[in-house]
Amino acid sequence: MSTTPETVAASEITACSAGAMAHPTTWETSIGLARTPDRPVKVIHPPAFSIGTIAIGLRTLVQYSDLLYTLSLFRLSVRYKQSALGWTWAALQPLALMGIYTIIFTRVTTVRTGGVPYPVFVFSALLPWIFFSSTISSAVNGLVLHPNLLTKMYFPREIIPLSYMVASLADFCIASTILGGLMVYYKVPLTWHLLYAIPIVVILAGFAAAIALFFSAAQVRFRDVGLAMPFLLQVWMFTVPVVYSLQSVPQRFRSLYLLDPVAGLIEGFRLVVIHGAAPDFRAMALSGAVTMVSLPLAYAFFKSSESTMADLI
Amino acid sequence: MIDLKFNQVSKKYNIRANGDSPKRWYGRGFPGRKKPGQMWALRNVSFQVNEGEALGIVGHNGAGKTTILKILSGITTPTAGEITIRGRLVALVEVSSGFHPELTGIENVYLHGAMLGMRRSEIRQKLDSIIEFSGVGRYIEVPVKRYSSGMFVRLGFAIAAHLDPDILLLDEVLAVGDAAFQAKCLERIAELRKDGRTMVFISHDLAAVYRLCDRALLLSHGSILSDGPPRRVIDEYQQMTFADQGMSADEESDSAIPARCTSISFSAPESPEGIRTGYPLVARLAYKASKNIPDAVFRVSIYWPSGYLCAQLTTESLSGGLQLEPGTGIIEFQCPTLPVVPGLYRVDLAIESKGLEIDVRQRCATLRVEPGKIAYGDFLIENTWKITETLPQPRL
Repeated sequence: MSTTPETVAASEITACSAGAMAHPTTWETSIGLARTPDRPVKVIHPPAFSIGTIAIGLRTLVQYSDLLYTLSLFRLSVRYKQSALGWTWAALQPLALMGIYTIIFTRVTTVRTGGVPYPVFVFSALLPWIFFSSTISSAVNGLVLHPNLLTKMYFPREIIPLSYMVASLADFCIASTILGGLMVYYKVPLTWHLLYAIPIVVILAGFAAAIALFFSAAQVRFRDVGLAMPFLLQVWMFTVPVVYSLQSVPQRFRSLYLLDPVAGLIEGFRLVVIHGAAPDFRAMALSGAVTMVSLPLAYAFFKSSESTMADLI
Repeated sequence: MIDLKFNQVSKKYNIRANGDSPKRWYGRGFPGRKKPGQMWALRNVSFQVNEGEALGIVGHNGAGKTTILKILSGITTPTAGEITIRGRLVALVEVSSGFHPELTGIENVYLHGAMLGMRRSEIRQKLDSIIEFSGVGRYIEVPVKRYSSGMFVRLGFAIAAHLDPDILLLDEVLAVGDAAFQAKCLERIAELRKDGRTMVFISHDLAAVYRLCDRALLLSHGSILSDGPPRRVIDEYQQMTFADQGMSADEESDSAIPARCTSISFSAPESPEGIRTGYPLVARLAYKASKNIPDAVFRVSIYWPSGYLCAQLTTESLSGGLQLEPGTGIIEFQCPTLPVVPGLYRVDLAIESKGLEIDVRQRCATLRVEPGKIAYGDFLIENTWKITETLPQPRL
């Protein structure tokens, strides 16, 4: 603290507010308390579906960001703790699927792959698809599997489905190393266009989060959601270009087809990683726009149902 | 400064007759379909807690105490009304429910601490202190599914005790754990109270509420019945529980009983204000004997609201009991000073013969003692005092 007389007053004020919390308060402060006089005031109202809920929700989420990190970390470590093969399971699933689809779609029928060997073709699309579908399928049941947490502790509930997404993202990264190995084996060249994969995965994660938040909140009230989800995801897989390429879709259906962000994003991922070409920017923009609209809506829905989750679970 | 304020808060629950199934769309429009029942857990509850105050909340099961707890923790939201919380509120309830069985103790400390709102860096700083407080020792590296229930609670409480709350919310967490653990809990709570933190304590343990709280609320069926000093509220609560039962004069029912108490009355001689602390009391017990009763002893037992025996007026003596002849009679007890503090006491009556009970009347009357001489605690000890040994101050 400065000791010159002119600045004493200023430093006294700063010393007083140094202990205060980040948010300004509307309550009058009483000087003379030993502890911080400025404390944030929280007012609890009956729940409402509004913009305000999104803003407050995001602010609380940031305060609890450590919990998201910790929970995802522990979810991963628990998953592989007592299994002998450990984290290699993240790579085995897409490899096994790749094997099956290769047999079906090269021996039994044929698919246009644009000059790339089918195993790499399908594996590269399986990676983002498995990330998306495992996020959805695990997140949907995530809330109802933790009834004791919902009824006994408070923390932002969206952390539960989001932690499943982070865990799936980690699996995606592990399996990507296998993709790298496959590309070397099949002598598929890498180009700088590969870097487009990063924004693609980010948008895909955003859309996966939106779907996960929406359906996990709905599942608490209507258990039909959890029952329908496996079937829905199976159908969904065939509406995105995983086992076939976008070229196989007739031109007149293509714009309708690309309304599903997952379709555009998976095709874009495959283009930049395997074919070494730039992605279709119009399709990317469309996917990005759909995600930017659906994510706030899904989050607002989640936050407004959050308040009654403990009563319904 | 008001730290916590409930303003006309109400909470409604929908109760569905057939489990948790939502309204089936194909069922709508059928005549005679029952609407789901509604239950108001809280009705227009309003109260406030000042900074540094400790408030106790008591009431029967289903009165709405847990609902208040859940609303304060943020687990559920009110149907109507507004709650204002100033500062950081930490609920020291269900301390071990955030634990994941497959993770080790240390990993669970990080997880549970994060759930309570601590940052990772904060947890890392306090980790050693937490482990030491919990007394779990080397088991901290073991998955918590191997812990005993006591270890669970100790670890959970150790984490929660290292938070820095402005408002502390407590419930029956103190009831679990052994005496050493409870002592540690109370010590930590006392530390926080001395520091000026506000506390809300919801419990069935009335002795703890009396010991820890400055004020108490009595809840019943979702509404506040009483708000005031803990002793008064607790007495009212117990009065609600143990309804007044009059003496039943069923003389014809059992002629096999050789003697029975027929009535009990208390009075304060020459005192128009009634029975008061520190003043004389006269108790008259009327009995009726149908046979000769050898070696008889009469007992008038006075109980605290908590159910513990406070004192007893008895004819028991070392020189043997009374010999009763058939007929009626009155035993009169004269107490020069009644030492118990003001309150409402329950009275039991008993007649024994040769050490065996002949007639026992439990909770058959109440004794109301009004304030009289100044007394604190449970008893008035009659005393006289004077100043002695004063030394004049040395003149300089």
